[in-house]
Amino acid sequence: MLANTSILVAGAGGLGSLSSMYLAAAGVGRIVIVDDDVVEPSNLNRQILHGEQGLGKDKVLSAAGRLSDLNSGVTVVPVKLRITDDTIDHILDGIDLIMDGTDNYDTRVVLNRAALKIGLSWIFGGVSGFDGMASLFSPKGKPCFECVFPPPGAKEDPGPGIIGPAAGMIASIQSMEAVKEILGIGKGLTGRLLRLSGMDMRINVSTLPPNPECRTCGRQLRKGSRP
Amino acid sequence: MKIILNGVEEIIPDGLSITDLIEWVKEGDPHLMVEVNNTYIYPKEYDRVWVRENDRIEMINPNLGG
Ligand SMILES: [Zn+2]
Repeated sequence: MLANTSILVAGAGGLGSLSSMYLAAAGVGRIVIVDDDVVEPSNLNRQILHGEQGLGKDKVLSAAGRLSDLNSGVTVVPVKLRITDDTIDHILDGIDLIMDGTDNYDTRVVLNRAALKIGLSWIFGGVSGFDGMASLFSPKGKPCFECVFPPPGAKEDPGPGIIGPAAGMIASIQSMEAVKEILGIGKGLTGRLLRLSGMDMRINVSTLPPNPECRTCGRQLRKGSRP
Repeated sequence: MKIILNGVEEIIPDGLSITDLIEWVKEGDPHLMVEVNNTYIYPKEYDRVWVRENDRIEMINPNLGG
């Protein structure tokens, strides 16, 4: 099953670093990894897919090398592109599942709408400081990302830097959810939000009721429509 | 009355709605998320949901970095 699956890892940063490595090591058939950045020294505290050798290189090329080294049986497709309303349809061609490794609200809205439109599940993860959250948004059941995080979302992460293990823990949870979703086993995070508070080391899982006010999943999607 | 706010016991005035509680704790994040007893509460409901004794309330700032 895993070997027949094609996964998009949207972003080769702190979250995408870990999730892409776990998925490659697990034997996912094809990993399409998308990012338009280059590796910078400030990335290396958490983006452990990359090392000092990769500084200044495209993240997706650095990623492809490391992932192929982990498991040569995986087809890794590096795509240096910004994820936008205009590029997402092309990026999602042939994809079975989306792993969120993005670092901002707007790109997640692009993923959310495209996933709803095409009927794909996507596994949300977000981190800041010592904290993080994760959920699984499925076209089969509400709520969607924008139910829980209504627009306009925060423009950028206002918190302090991200400590590596916070990204690592959330990406690990996302990876576990991905394997379960592909194999159709266990109880996923659909309709639930997992939150990690690293500073006081608490993990909460809460229920997400559908949001009748959601303008994205609550009515027919119009391509390119803005909240 | 006593509630558990973000895992910590707090004494708050009686008769507060979620809107009042947000004001009472001086939480200013416009993107704040609220959970009561492990269920997410949408902003539309903040005026209609009343805080009760022993409620476990979480005030959450979204984490959207990566
Ligand atoms: Zn929705």
